[in-house]
Amino acid sequence: MMNYKSNLRKSKMDWLLLGAMAGLAVMGALCIMSAVNALSLSNAVVRTHLIALPIGLTAFLAAWSFNYQIFDEQWKPLYGVIMALLVGVLIFGTYQRGSKSWFVLPFFSMQPAELCRVLTILVAAAFLDRQGRRIRDVRTLVLLGVLVGPIFGLIMMQPDFSSIVITFPALVVLLFCAGINVFFLALVAVFAAVAGFFTIAWTYLYLHPALQEYTLLKIFYNLGSSPFYMAGFVLLVALGGYVAWWIFKQLRIFLPSFYFVLATLVVVAGFFAGVFVDHQMKPYQRKRVEAFLAPQSDPQGASYNVLQAQIAMGSGGVLGKGLFSGTQSRLGFVPEKHTDFILAVVGEELGLCGTLLVLGLYLLILWRIAAVAYLASDRYGYLVCSGIFGMFLTYMLINFGMLIGLFPVAGIPLPFISYGGSNLVSSMLALGVVQSVYARRITSA
Amino acid sequence: MLSTKIFFNNRLKTLLVLAGLAGAVVALRLADIQLLRHEHYLHLAEQNRTQVLYQTAPRGRILTADGQAVAANAPSFNLYYLSAGPKDENYLKRLAADFAPRLQMEEKALLAQLHKGVRSGKALALAENLSPKTAVTLQELLLYYPGVYLVEENKRVYPYGSFASHLVGYLGSMEGKEWKNRDLSLDYRLNAKVGKNGLEKKFEKELKGRDGGVYLEVDYRGRVKRVIEDRKWRSGNDVYLTLNFNLQQAAEKGLKNSKTGRGAAVAMDPRTGAILALATAPAFDPSMFVPYSDEPEVKSRKISEYNLAVQGIYPPASTFKIITAIAAIEKGGFDPKKVIGCPGHYDAGSRVFRCWSTHGPVDFFEGMAGSCDVYFYTIAAQMGPAAIEKVQRMFQFGQPTGVDLPGEKSGNLYGPTKRARNRSYWFIGDTLNLSIGQGELLVTPIKMAQFASAVASKGKVWKPYYLDKVVHSQSGKILKESASEQIGSVDIAPSTWDLLFKALKHTVDTGTAARVKIKGLDVYGKTGTAQNPHGADHGWFMAFAGKEGQEPEIAVAVFVEFGEGGSSAAGPIAREMLKAYFGIEDPVWKPRPKPVVAPTPAVQEPEKETEKQPVAAPSAGAPQPPATPQPETNETERMSLPEPPPAHTQEEKVQETGNAQ
Repeated sequence: MMNYKSNLRKSKMDWLLLGAMAGLAVMGALCIMSAVNALSLSNAVVRTHLIALPIGLTAFLAAWSFNYQIFDEQWKPLYGVIMALLVGVLIFGTYQRGSKSWFVLPFFSMQPAELCRVLTILVAAAFLDRQGRRIRDVRTLVLLGVLVGPIFGLIMMQPDFSSIVITFPALVVLLFCAGINVFFLALVAVFAAVAGFFTIAWTYLYLHPALQEYTLLKIFYNLGSSPFYMAGFVLLVALGGYVAWWIFKQLRIFLPSFYFVLATLVVVAGFFAGVFVDHQMKPYQRKRVEAFLAPQSDPQGASYNVLQAQIAMGSGGVLGKGLFSGTQSRLGFVPEKHTDFILAVVGEELGLCGTLLVLGLYLLILWRIAAVAYLASDRYGYLVCSGIFGMFLTYMLINFGMLIGLFPVAGIPLPFISYGGSNLVSSMLALGVVQSVYARRITSA
Repeated sequence: MLSTKIFFNNRLKTLLVLAGLAGAVVALRLADIQLLRHEHYLHLAEQNRTQVLYQTAPRGRILTADGQAVAANAPSFNLYYLSAGPKDENYLKRLAADFAPRLQMEEKALLAQLHKGVRSGKALALAENLSPKTAVTLQELLLYYPGVYLVEENKRVYPYGSFASHLVGYLGSMEGKEWKNRDLSLDYRLNAKVGKNGLEKKFEKELKGRDGGVYLEVDYRGRVKRVIEDRKWRSGNDVYLTLNFNLQQAAEKGLKNSKTGRGAAVAMDPRTGAILALATAPAFDPSMFVPYSDEPEVKSRKISEYNLAVQGIYPPASTFKIITAIAAIEKGGFDPKKVIGCPGHYDAGSRVFRCWSTHGPVDFFEGMAGSCDVYFYTIAAQMGPAAIEKVQRMFQFGQPTGVDLPGEKSGNLYGPTKRARNRSYWFIGDTLNLSIGQGELLVTPIKMAQFASAVASKGKVWKPYYLDKVVHSQSGKILKESASEQIGSVDIAPSTWDLLFKALKHTVDTGTAARVKIKGLDVYGKTGTAQNPHGADHGWFMAFAGKEGQEPEIAVAVFVEFGEGGSSAAGPIAREMLKAYFGIEDPVWKPRPKPVVAPTPAVQEPEKETEKQPVAAPSAGAPQPPATPQPETNETERMSLPEPPPAHTQEEKVQETGNAQ
C-alpha cells in the first residue's frame, strides 16, 4: 500500500486527469455515434472522430514527453507559427458556413484557430513569465495587448467569434493568475463590456425599431455608421475623461492622471471593437443574439435550437432514454447535435446521470489542472496551467450555460465530447502540456 | 520565489472555488430540467415526434324509444400514403394501377402524387371524402399495400332534420378557453365539435367517442419514419329517449302546418311520466351547424332556440274548468244534474261577464261539453275561489314540472291566498276569471301535459322525463337509466274522478273536443281558447286516451300560439298525435275540413248527438253539413272581458279569501 502510494507520488503522469479525459472521450465517442446514427454522412463523421482520437492521443503523449520549458525558451518562433497559420488560413483556407477558417488537405481538414488558442496561451504565459516583477505595471498589459492583438485581429478577419469567445477569457484568467493589478484587469473587463454592450444594444435597437423614435436612441443607433459620428463619440469620451479628472482634482482625491487617460482609451477601444464586431457579424450570429435577448419571441426561429435542446435534456429524465434511443436527436429536432449541442444528446440518452457525470469530470479536470499549477516547478509551468485552466473553465461554463439558457448560443464545442478533430487534438495537446508540467513538478521529500 | 507562489496560487484557488460554485448552479439547473420538469419536456418531445392522422370517432347516437336514430353519424374516408413503407418504382406502379380505377383517378396522376409523397417523405392524402362504399372496395387492397392507410372520419347527421330539435340540440366548435376545461381523458382535439345545446350538450360526456388514428413517428421536417400505432376509434355511447317516433313526427307535422306554425305539443305516459312527444314550433335543423366550415354565414345563421314547450307561459283558459269542476264536486253538495240557464252572459252585480255562446239550460255534462262559461261562473261564485286554489295547488300549478330541461318557466298560480300574500285585493271578477282559467293564471305547455297526465292517472303528478337509458356502445351495458318519479298526488274521491271522466268523455263525444273522437279509443279531452289582449287568441287542447275500456295510456297537451280556436287549431294536431300513437289509419279525415266536406261515417254519431244539445250548438267540433260555413270561427269561445281588474264599484271589493256571494 505504502509502496503503491509512493509510486503514485513519484508518478510522471497525473492519472486522475488522464482518467477524466479518457472518460469524457469515451462518452463523447459514444454520443457522437448515437447522434449521427440517422445522418447520411454518419460513417464519415464517426470515422473522422475515430481517426482524430489517436491523433489527439499522440499529441497528448508528445506534449507530455516534451519538456514544456521549451515553449518558454522558444516563444518567439512559436509566435511566428501562430501568425503563419492564421495568415495562411486567410490566404489558402476555404470557406465553411461563411468563415474562412479551414485548411482543407487531401486526407483531412483542420481549423488552425483551435491549435492557435493553445499556442497563444503558451506564448502569453512565456511573455508574462519574462515580465517578472514588472507584472503589475501597465506596460505589461499594453505590451501583451500588442502581442495578442494581431492574433485576435486575424481571427476576426476569418471571422471566427467563437474562437475569441474562448481565447479572450482564457487570457484574462491567465493575467489574473499571473498577478496583474486588478485595476488593469478591471479595465480589460470594461473594454470587453463596452464592446459587448454596443453590439448587444445595437442588436436590440435593430430588433425594436419602435425605440428609434427617440432621438437620443436613434443617434446612439447610428453612432457606428459614419466617421463623423465616431469622431464625435471619441471627443465626447475624451471630454468625459477630462471632466472626471477635474472633478476628482476638485474633490482632492489624487489619482495618477494616466489612470484617466487609460480609462478613456479603453472606452474608445471598446467602442471600436464593438463597431468592428457589429460590422463583422453574420446574420445567423445576429439571430443568436436576438434569440438570447428574447428567447420566447419565436419558438420556431432562432431560439428554437435552445428550446429543442432543453426538450431533449428534459425528456431524458434521470436515467435517459438509452444510447441510440433519443428521439429528439435521432429525428433531427436538436440541431448541431454532434457538435455544439452534444450535451443535449448526453442529457437525452444518458439522462441527468450523464450530464452530471460530464460536469463532474470537467470539474475534476479543472481541479487537477489547478493542482498541477500548484505543483509546478517554475513560474512558467504555473502560468501555462492557469491559462489552460481558464480555457477549460470557459468551455465548461459556456457549454452548460448555453444549454440552460444563461448564455447565447455561441457555436462552441465541448472538448473531448463534441465532434471536431481540431478541437479534440488541440484540447488533448493542452492537457499533454499540463501533464508535462506535472511530470517535471517539485518532488518534495 | 515561494512567497509569490503562495499568492499566485491563492488567485487560482479562488477561481477554482468559483468554478465549483458555478458547477453547483449548473447542476441544480440540470436537476430542475431533467428531474423536476421531466414530464413536461417528455410530453413536448413526444409531441415533436408524433404526427397523428386522426380518425374521428362517431358520436353516440340519440334514439327514440322505438329505436329510430334521430342523431347519427355519416362516415367518410381519407386515403393516405406514407413513404415509410416500401417505395420502389415497381411497387408504386402496381399501387397506382390497382387504386386508380377504384378512386376514379387517372393512373398517371396517382403515380405522380405517389412520387411526390416519396420525395417529400411526408404523409400524403391521396384521396379525401371517400364514401363508405369506395372504402369497402379499398379495404381488401390495403392488405397488400402496407404503405397505404384508410382514415375514417365521422360527421354528425340528423336523418330527420328538425326532429325534436329543441330537445336534441346541436354541435358547434369549442370557444376560447373551453378546450382547456374539457375532460382530458376524452382527449378533445382543438377542432373537435362539441354539444352546444340540448341533449348534445347535456350528454356530451356520454356521446363523445374516443378518436383513433394512425400515429406516426416523424422527424423535424415531418418526414414519416415509421407507424407507431394504428388505433381504432371507440364510438360514443347511445342515448335512448322515451319519445315515440311516430307520435313526435305527427306532433311536429301538425304544428308546422297549423294556422300560425307556432306552438308546442307535449305527450306523456300517465302511467310513468315519460315524455312521449315534445315538439316545439318553429323548429330548426340541427345539421345546419354541423357543416365543418367556418363560413361566417353559417356561423351567424339565426335559429329559434326558444323552447316554447317549457319556456312559453300562457293562460290555460277553458282547460282549467276541469279544476273548477273538481273543486266544486269536492266541496260537496254538488248536483251534476242541476241545470243552470245560460243566457249568454253572467250578471256579477256591477259588471256583466259574457259567455262565448248562448247555451241555454245546461247541466254539468253539457256545461263541460259546451264549455259554458256561465255554468262555471255560477258554480265558482257559489263555492268561492279558495277551493279552486286548493285544487290548483294539488296539481302544482305555479311550479315547474321539474323536467330536466334548461330554462323551464314555473308559470303562475292564481288565487286569493296568492293575492293576499301580495297585499292586494280579491274581487268577485277574479273568482269568475279564475273559474274559466283566465286572468293571472299562466302555464307552460309541458305543465299542461303534466296536468293532463295527472287527470288521466287519477291524481298522479309525475315529474316528466325524456331519458330512457344510456347504452354502452361496445358492451351494450346500460350505463344510466331513468326512473319515473311521482312528485305529487291529487287526493280526491274516486267518485269525483268518475264524474269528471264522464264529463270529459262527453266533451269528446258530443262537445267542443269532438275532433279527437277516434273509433276504438276512449278519448277524454277539453279545449281552451286563451284570450290574448295583444292579438289573436291562443288555442289549447288537452286530451288523454286509452284503448276502449282500458286505462288511459297517453296524455296530450297541444298549444297553438295565436291559433284562435282551441278546437280548430290544436284539436287536429291532438287527433293526429293520438292516431299516430295508437297506429290508427283514418284516410278520409282531413286536418282542416273545408266548408265542402262530405260527412264521414266516422263522425256520424257525434252529429246525431249535437242535435240533442239544447242550444243549436255550432260549437260541436263535428263537421257540419256542407252549407254551414267555417265551423272554426263559431267555435271560438268568447270569455270574460280581458281588461285587468277595473273594480268600478265598491261592492265588488272583497277582502282576500272572502267569498263573493
